[in-house]
Amino acid sequence: MSSLASQLANLIGSENVRDDTISREAYGHDATPLFFGLPEVIVAPRTAEHVSQIVRYAAETGIPVIPRGAGSNLCAATVPLHGGIVMSMVNMNAILEISPSEMLAVVQPGVTNLHLDIEVGKHNLMFVPDPGSRNVSTIGGNAATSAGGLRGLKYGTTKNYVLGLEVVLGTGDIIRTGGRLVKDVAGYDITRLLIGSEGTLGVFTEITVALVPRPESSKYGVAYFETLAAASSAVERIILSGILPSTLEFLDNTCILAVEEFARLGLDKEAGALLLFGDHGDSGYVEHIVEKMAEIVRSVPDCRGVTLAPDVAAAEELLYARRCSLPALARLGTLSILEDISVPRHKMAATVTEIDAIGLKYGLRIGTFGHAGDGNLHPTIVVDKDDKAAVANAEKAMGEIFALALKMGGTITGEHGVGSAKLPYLETRLGHIQMELQRSIKKVFDPHGILNPGRLGS
Amino acid sequence: MTEEFTQSKLDRCISCGYCLPACPTYQLTGAEESSPRGRITLMRAVQEDRMPKQNLLAESSFCLGCRACEPVCPAGVEYGVLLEEMREMVWQGKNRPLLVRGLLALVKTRWRVRLIGLFSPTGRRRNANANLHLMLGCFERSLFPKVSRTLHQIAPEVSITRKQGCCGALHAHNGELKLGTEMAEKLGQDLNGTILTTAGGCAVHLTSVLGRDRVREFSEWWTSKSMTLRPIERDGVRLRVGFQDSCHLRNGLGIYKEPRTILKQIGDYIEIPNASGCCGAAGSYAILQKANSRKVIAPKVDAIRGLNLDYIATVNPGCTRQLAKELKRAGIKTKVVHISELISRAIS
Repeated sequence: MSSLASQLANLIGSENVRDDTISREAYGHDATPLFFGLPEVIVAPRTAEHVSQIVRYAAETGIPVIPRGAGSNLCAATVPLHGGIVMSMVNMNAILEISPSEMLAVVQPGVTNLHLDIEVGKHNLMFVPDPGSRNVSTIGGNAATSAGGLRGLKYGTTKNYVLGLEVVLGTGDIIRTGGRLVKDVAGYDITRLLIGSEGTLGVFTEITVALVPRPESSKYGVAYFETLAAASSAVERIILSGILPSTLEFLDNTCILAVEEFARLGLDKEAGALLLFGDHGDSGYVEHIVEKMAEIVRSVPDCRGVTLAPDVAAAEELLYARRCSLPALARLGTLSILEDISVPRHKMAATVTEIDAIGLKYGLRIGTFGHAGDGNLHPTIVVDKDDKAAVANAEKAMGEIFALALKMGGTITGEHGVGSAKLPYLETRLGHIQMELQRSIKKVFDPHGILNPGRLGS
Repeated sequence: MTEEFTQSKLDRCISCGYCLPACPTYQLTGAEESSPRGRITLMRAVQEDRMPKQNLLAESSFCLGCRACEPVCPAGVEYGVLLEEMREMVWQGKNRPLLVRGLLALVKTRWRVRLIGLFSPTGRRRNANANLHLMLGCFERSLFPKVSRTLHQIAPEVSITRKQGCCGALHAHNGELKLGTEMAEKLGQDLNGTILTTAGGCAVHLTSVLGRDRVREFSEWWTSKSMTLRPIERDGVRLRVGFQDSCHLRNGLGIYKEPRTILKQIGDYIEIPNASGCCGAAGSYAILQKANSRKVIAPKVDAIRGLNLDYIATVNPGCTRQLAKELKRAGIKTKVVHISELISRAIS
């Protein structure tokens, strides 16, 4: 062991510290392609006290600490670009309490999203945020990136479901913010500030989350359109009719072709866009509401056809078409760059048209899928990783897509986070004054600049 | 000998991490390097010359090779193939465990396999359907000869010959990819037509070499016969039966419904929690990595303890051996048998 590792081992026990070559290599990456940095040591604390001791030590010595959940983020938020200590939170994975009467749960940060949802499901409750990575991503990671999911329009995202936090600040101090209350306006809303702070302001050691009653049933349908603009107008009509469905997802033609090639679900390959719609609630309600949505969708001039899933298996197949979009696209090349812009809903179709134009200009294959309900788009550029020119073009195209999002009144990331991948574009989004404000906030929480340095307000 | 990984197979992985919750060794350690994604990261580092291949040794041994990561992988990474390549790359010379060398050598040729099975009361030689042959297996032949005897009884249409060797699955999984392939080809020549096997691991390896049409796993084959079975009862009560999946059969060929369908006819079927999860046998793993193998099976033994089962059926000899051994050690009375033995009691 290096001297750093043995010092840390003295603090939290050698079984929770490692610095062999293969561990360091494995923790040099997360789910983001093209980013890599070797950490000096990996620690896996088991208590808030452990976390505090390590952070305190790091603050004294000026060594970076990079908190990490499952490492499934897509913005290089946990790649140790400046070396230092990767702090894996997966050992702190207990659900401490589920309180059905208060409709909340208290968890440690390493609990996976799906595990929590399954456990609260036993009490007929639901944990709402459902990022695509829910089977692996942790609540700590979800909170650190304010993860979204497929139900954003109706229910919001992680930031709407965190009531309170126990957090270790950059000084090593442990504080508690918020709590179990629905209403609490005593002081600035530090909880909300910490959600999405990507490990730059503090390390979460306990999270209190709000739960909702678990819907008893769900129903889904799929519609095909000549153009994405037509799909978009169907979404407008649904919402204007007073319906707020939990699911409104779309795939463009490139995605439809890729998914069909991959999964052979019998999708309409001629369609310009596929719209997946659905809702959940009690069974009478969902039958009625999904029929009504189908009717509205059919009334759109360029609609090619609508099918309702007759049973759960068929519904699963439809949802699968959406969920497998990324891997299906990824098969078309050896490097896929997944973006995450968000635009006002009525600008969605125009944005995708311009994205296609950018793809054409650089000779790139770009498939776009996303959340039609909330305007969150995932343009995905697929290239051959050894084709240097294509990779360079992909980076240029990405820059143009970010600029496009801002021009449309949107943002550079809707739910994945900024990390290192989108940091160069952050100031354009926020402006100079707000960027300075972010830096000032960072200094207050982390005076030594050791928490996930180089990200957000660093 | 493999010098490098098949690049296109490494490229398939998008590092999403969906495999982490499915991986038994990641569940044990919570360590990224002990997950399929982490191991692929290590393979890439070797492929890109950033790390000596020697560094793969520990993880290539720690991995069970259960392939539970494959069905959950959205990108379709063929992890099992990459693992075989990794073992072939690093399990060479003195890096190959002595025990593995011994085991592989013991069943390398047809005559050696016949020799170790010489005194085992396997199913008798029989010429029946010339296009359907029972595979006797290598170690299965001597450890569990009753399985082929049972097949002899319940499947009269199946031909049985003793002129057959090992399918080479053991070799392919333990760093002898080329030899493993050759042995499967040889078996394909020795046994005409469809090869019927009672070992899930062998079924998958043979399929990868000979193709899906030439190979039938027993429970799959039996289900296709759609023969009615009579429930087995004791004092008027159906026996309580559970099932342990064969990892390769489930994750490699997608066969897991068939044995359950059979067992639901035979007894009061109880699904063992995490029956799809590896039992820690994993071919030679239970011998090479005894301590880890026992850690993997420990939660399963605890789960079984409370179920009060009469039988656990299996579809792979390694699983039979591992479960029987560990249940006995834990003082649990549940018997572990190949599924065919329960079928033989449920016909007639």
